[in-house]
Amino acid sequence: MSYHQDGLLDIFAGLYILGFGLGIIMDVLWEFGFGVIMPAILIATVLPIWIEAKRKITMPRIGFVNFGTRGANKLTAVFIGTMVAGLGAFFVFTLATFQGESRQWLDLIVQNGMLIVGFGTFVICTLFGYTMGLKRLYAYGLLAVIVLAIGHFMGIFFAYIITALGITVMVTGFAMLIGFVRKYPLKGEKAIAE
Amino acid sequence: MAQLYVVQSADFTFLLHQTEMTPGNLSAHLSKLEEAGYVEVTKEFIERKPHTALALTKKGRAAFKEYRKKVKQFVEKLPE
Repeated sequence: MSYHQDGLLDIFAGLYILGFGLGIIMDVLWEFGFGVIMPAILIATVLPIWIEAKRKITMPRIGFVNFGTRGANKLTAVFIGTMVAGLGAFFVFTLATFQGESRQWLDLIVQNGMLIVGFGTFVICTLFGYTMGLKRLYAYGLLAVIVLAIGHFMGIFFAYIITALGITVMVTGFAMLIGFVRKYPLKGEKAIAE
Repeated sequence: MAQLYVVQSADFTFLLHQTEMTPGNLSAHLSKLEEAGYVEVTKEFIERKPHTALALTKKGRAAFKEYRKKVKQFVEKLPE
């Protein structure tokens, strides 16, 4: 039994990806520094709603369990590792820029942007899927790399693919939530049904 | 006990789903484990609703470890 079988993680992650995609389409993402503000919006608004949804939907149905610190430590290690790898890549890029190789690097990144994002998403999804024991994250990672590669070779606008990915993840989350609520009805509801 | 062994603590609802027992049956099992000093039961109110948190005691954890060791030894001694 996992706390993430309720689909809430998928709904909120999908919503975030969808917002990111729509932000690029509507051209507000860079104009208002939305890319920087987005994580702050996520923490300030979505996180409390997610916690409350867990308390109101998940916990009354499957109960509460404290897994201890082992799982949390593993997740923190993966998160820090990912951040360090990202910072390392940024450092290498900055170093190359100072050495006057920026044009080459930038061209390479811009030309293969979707493949890089796709591969990065796949690596992050695989890492978190393994740490959290969520097999569907592998599927999301694979889906992201496939559709972004198709988008790259067919010349589809990046934001359309991101939006479609966001919708897919969100719809999957809603389907999971409906399945979860049906599988674990509240005791009162169960008594009425019986 | 195996369910509680892998976590720090869990509540009654969680154990009910995991063990697929009836509430009365699970309650009886937990009472016996509590009497033996293997399980610690904490009753509290969360948002005016009763909540029962359960955790293995040190004695319970040690007893389960010993039980596991003995079962392992027994299974290993079985002929092919």
